Amino acid sequence: MTWDSFIYFAVSAVVLWGSGAALAYGSKRKLWPALLTTLGLIVFSIFIAGLWMSLERPPLRTMGETRLWYSFFLPVAGLLTYLRWNYKWILSFTTVLSTVFIIVNIVKPDIHNKVLMPALQSPWFAPHVIIYMFSYAILGAATLVAIYYLVREKKIKNKAHLMEMTDSLVYAGIACITLGMLIGAIWAKIAWGHYWSWDPKETWAAATWMGYLLYIHYRLKKSSSDKTSMILLIIAFILLQVCWYGVNYLPSAQQSIHTYSS
Amino acid sequence: MNKNTSRKIWEHPWGYAEGFIVAAGVLLSGILLQFAAGNIETALFASPVNTIVGALFVAGLLAVHFLSGKSRVVRWLSSVYATIPALVILLILAMILGILPQFAAGTEKGQLPPHPFTSLGWYQMTTSWPFVLLCFYNLSILGLTTLRRTTRKQTWREIGFYLNHLGLFIALLGGILGSADMERLTMTIREGQVEWRGNLKTGEIKELPLAIQLDTFMIEEYEPKLVIIENETGKMLPASRPESYMFEGIGKTTQLAGVTLEITDYLPHAAIFRDSTFMNVVPMMMEGATTAIKVKADKPGLAQPVEGWVSNGSYLFPHIFLQIDEETSVAMPVQEVKKYSSHVTAFTESGITKEAVIEVNKPLQVEDWMIYQYSYDDTKGKYSDTSVFELVRDPWLKVVYTGIFMLLAGALFLFIAGPKKKAS
Ligand code: HEM
Repeated sequence: MTWDSFIYFAVSAVVLWGSGAALAYGSKRKLWPALLTTLGLIVFSIFIAGLWMSLERPPLRTMGETRLWYSFFLPVAGLLTYLRWNYKWILSFTTVLSTVFIIVNIVKPDIHNKVLMPALQSPWFAPHVIIYMFSYAILGAATLVAIYYLVREKKIKNKAHLMEMTDSLVYAGIACITLGMLIGAIWAKIAWGHYWSWDPKETWAAATWMGYLLYIHYRLKKSSSDKTSMILLIIAFILLQVCWYGVNYLPSAQQSIHTYSS
Repeated sequence: MNKNTSRKIWEHPWGYAEGFIVAAGVLLSGILLQFAAGNIETALFASPVNTIVGALFVAGLLAVHFLSGKSRVVRWLSSVYATIPALVILLILAMILGILPQFAAGTEKGQLPPHPFTSLGWYQMTTSWPFVLLCFYNLSILGLTTLRRTTRKQTWREIGFYLNHLGLFIALLGGILGSADMERLTMTIREGQVEWRGNLKTGEIKELPLAIQLDTFMIEEYEPKLVIIENETGKMLPASRPESYMFEGIGKTTQLAGVTLEITDYLPHAAIFRDSTFMNVVPMMMEGATTAIKVKADKPGLAQPVEGWVSNGSYLFPHIFLQIDEETSVAMPVQEVKKYSSHVTAFTESGITKEAVIEVNKPLQVEDWMIYQYSYDDTKGKYSDTSVFELVRDPWLKVVYTGIFMLLAGALFLFIAGPKKKAS
């Protein structure tokens, strides 16, 4: 399977996710929205598996390949949130965001080939990037909630419930960020001789991590303001964007060994 | 930010405002020290100084914890009100570190940018006083918080708390103190030779308690690729998104930047002979041989297809391009390395001999040294008979790993347990 067939899989997946998200508004039962979203995920994962096989390496090397995983994990995060917290709108939010990343991948496709530099040929490579992409998706979902909150603050009825959901998303997200970062550290020791080198990418990963630590600690106080918490989440997500691709444009990037190649 | 708005500043109980003032005070002391003393010289903290500093620091935290009684300042210091400002200031320094290009610790003053940031230590952030002091301030809060938590009724949630906070404390303290004892050297060895001296980054040569013999060195490359280039600039086409085709076998055809290519012959080991009028490409099973692909190229507007050899050359032979028309040619970029590996025999002073293969991602451990595949002689490419290793000794690694594995468990705990249910 090559990149040329991406558009067919992507469109089918988006149609399935979209119908699932639309049905979520209409019905109390979660069966159909869940089923359709899952079907979309299956279609999407068939493409990822096919691409993996044809490239003979994990498709995690280029920026576009990480976007591919991100568009896959967003509906996963949306589905889990929907099933656990009953918010009807979350599926449409994650579907829209996922579609944005799919469109970026279609309009600005990467060059995909089999080449994988020796440093990336490691059993740690796939878990490291996949866990990170999963955490980015969960934290992306949390950011969508924060935006929803800030836009509609006055109209939200049960704020406590919404905050509880946000906390859960952030705890799951920071747990995965921590796992991704530590797996990265162990791998770096094996590949480059040191577990932490303050490479720009590592530095921004640490900054992102601190951003979310600020949120969870701030939330521990009962007196903390919901609005400030949500603003913290948005700041942390901006740090995350810098870490993911923003670093490539910073003065420090000339020294990075971790920029995605294409 | 504080619910108790009638409270004056410095009036107990302290909140975020005092937190920001104290953290800013730590930052200011760091800046003053930076002006006075310049960057911290890591080497001064090499063993045993780092062990002593670490022991004093931990002893100090224990003393503060046990002797402070009901001190409200210490209680505040182990609360979220101190944590948030401390993290915010450290985060700001981390962002500066992530934005500005950084210079190696040994860089001469004259080689740093002549900028006010230099005297603030921002171009060598990780060894600057403000950064290191802020790290220790955060560590103190972390340590005191962990200690104070033991005085409370213990529930199963404490497991997660200790794994995360104690784990981070151990990993951070071990990492900071251990950095002074870390040794990294490179060692360049030719096939058949034995080496026991390593080069430090500073250019100094150091004798090591172990020797390495390079038995053989091998490079495996990916299949060659073909690209279409613009004759005038040598740029790959299409300019917006250069395409390439990786060789898959004779007889295959492909479309590349509007050109149809058919592979008509392939020599993995070729010699190229040419003068002004004549070029011959023949098989040659010898060192220095290059890779050559014969292609037939066609393109709308071309009277008839052109056919000829394309090669990426070697240290013996030149590159060859196949010119399609005035504007474009077919070219073969240098092949990417798939794998490089060194067969070595390592000897130690205690008489141990170890035979092993070292590759990227597969280092060899000999006593307390880790030996990494680092580089090779890239002027000779795949015919390099020289391998470069990096040797690393990090006596504090076990401490850091203890912390890292606690943090890993703590993260799993956080994932499964989730946030504490708030009583509504
Ligand atoms: C690995 C990074 C960290 C994680 C995952 C983490 C997570 C947490 C969690 C989940 C809690 C709530 C515990 C509970 O009530 O069950 C907590 C409490 C706390 N943490 Fe952290 N934390 C981290 C790093 C830090 C750091 C660096 C500091 C200080 C500089 C800190 C200071 C505190 C404080 C003061 C509390 C309140 C403790 C209490 O009220 O007993 N934490 N942390």
